[in-house]
Amino acid sequence: MARDTLLSLRRICRSFGGIQALDTVSLDIARGDIIGLVGDNGAGKSTLIKILAGAHDPTSGEVILEGQARKLAPPAEAQRLGIETVYQDLSLIGTFTAAENFFLGRELAHGRGPALLRWIRRKSMGDTAIKGLDELHIDIPGVRTKTVERMSGGQRQLVAIARGAFWGHKLLLLDEPTAALGVRESREVLELIKRLGAKGLTIVMVTHNLDHLWQVCNRVVVMRRGRKAADLSSSATNMEEVVAYITGAKEAMTAADMEAGA
Amino acid sequence: MNRAVMPADHPLPETAAPAEGALPVAQAGSLPPGTHDRRALLMRLLGTYGTIIVLALMLAIFSVLQPGTFATIGNFRNIINDMAIGTIVAAGLTVPLVAGDFDLSIGYVASFCGLLAVGLLSSGLSIPLAILLVIALGTIIGVVNGLVVSKIGVNAFIATLGTGTIVVGLNYAYSGGIPLQLTQSREFTRIAIGRIAGVPHLVIIMAVVLALLWVILNRTVQGQHIKAIGVSPESARRAGVAVDRSRIVAFAIASTCAAIGGVLMASNLGSGQVTAGDSFMLTSFSAAFLGSAALREGQFHILGTLIGVLTVAVGNNGLAMIGAPIFTQFLFTGTLLVVAVALGGIGRRFARG
Repeated sequence: MARDTLLSLRRICRSFGGIQALDTVSLDIARGDIIGLVGDNGAGKSTLIKILAGAHDPTSGEVILEGQARKLAPPAEAQRLGIETVYQDLSLIGTFTAAENFFLGRELAHGRGPALLRWIRRKSMGDTAIKGLDELHIDIPGVRTKTVERMSGGQRQLVAIARGAFWGHKLLLLDEPTAALGVRESREVLELIKRLGAKGLTIVMVTHNLDHLWQVCNRVVVMRRGRKAADLSSSATNMEEVVAYITGAKEAMTAADMEAGA
Repeated sequence: MNRAVMPADHPLPETAAPAEGALPVAQAGSLPPGTHDRRALLMRLLGTYGTIIVLALMLAIFSVLQPGTFATIGNFRNIINDMAIGTIVAAGLTVPLVAGDFDLSIGYVASFCGLLAVGLLSSGLSIPLAILLVIALGTIIGVVNGLVVSKIGVNAFIATLGTGTIVVGLNYAYSGGIPLQLTQSREFTRIAIGRIAGVPHLVIIMAVVLALLWVILNRTVQGQHIKAIGVSPESARRAGVAVDRSRIVAFAIASTCAAIGGVLMASNLGSGQVTAGDSFMLTSFSAAFLGSAALREGQFHILGTLIGVLTVAVGNNGLAMIGAPIFTQFLFTGTLLVVAVALGGIGRRFARG
């Protein structure tokens, strides 16, 4: 195993009832990787992301984080280990400000004990959120005053990703970060992902948009029918090849290849 | 697979260019520019200030019609004193509503707790101990509500209807359906009837409870979590909020306030009536929903609930003052509720769109 491996999935299987959603998937994620996870609907991308996020336990197989076998579920445990997920529906509270969303579930507060007796520190939360966004060169007005439901879809996505990056110091999982965004907003989000990559953050991003994938990712992992069909360096492949793997026009790696790859 | 580049979501400037500089020509069948915005703004204003506008209008109209009786300090003191107990119960209910849950048991809890307080006093318990026990019982009923709803996953509507009915059963088992009279000291009645520096105790207790609930919802981590789960429990759960615990706390607060209301009612009446608090359920829901169309578009909040109670109280008082028959009070409250909630909902939709 390479020395800079952050997280390894070893022969992960996951079934729901009779349906095998993931079939013996192995994947090494190196520190600083920006991996684009692609595949048709039902190919197993979401299940794979949910395993990494701690939302699902694998039926069998191992997850190794920084050399140690780990159980990532429940999501709070994954978060504790430094793995943050930005879900497609953003997981923001619409009636809260960006600052309040930043600290949801991890509020800065005076006092100890039950949440009923902890006095919320709105000012500190606002200051820290603004600082965090500044460091990522995200310019959004009204971080501490404007509710996110009054922000544009692009601004909301920037807030959600910035929150993930703020807390997820090891691994950031992005589920369709540019879906439902316009051209200009997508560009801003992709720029942010690039900046996060440049800062050394490791990112796995599910996407349907190969063009966006090519703009930010150094690796492409193709899922097909619950298996890892291809694991390619972006610079060593092209769109036609990736599409061929997605549609099955090009054959998946054999089981033996996958063993060797793991 | 390779998606075509999507058209920009903002219309290109060229689209609007021809209209610029030229006189705007209204085309048949199309609204002039800005109409939609103006209507949206109007709806938002009504959704945000609708209840307050109604309250202000009523104050003005009744003051003009009955300057000698309605618009007097004495009358307003009466209005506020009479609405104090209902406000405490309604403000308590507001907390689970903020969390996205219903509590239909509050009226029955108030009835039983008031009756039980009188019963305990009659059996010789001291006033503080009796009150403490009864309020603790209220809290426990709330915790049970929260546990059934969050841990067992029963719909809050049905769960609290169930626990409420059980509480009615306990009430009848304890009282046999017969009102209990206070057998000893009138000290207990002084809690609700006394005054400090001219201000009725009830008004002071109401203010304290309101302030406490406001602080919990707006200044504590717990309040932040209760608000979050009311908007999106799934988002809150993903962010690490203890959703079940927050729901339980919210139910406990509502039920505790209902118990306080019940005790004050018994003190005010000087007896334990079997069904005296039942009507708090409907009036509290009305007040909270009216309040959701006051100051915040379609959101429940403590100050809004206070405004909601005040609006109904002023309306009913004013109608009585001008000699309108009793049925008009029900017509008024019902109509107001439907209109206010519709506006609140509309206001919120426009705000999001």
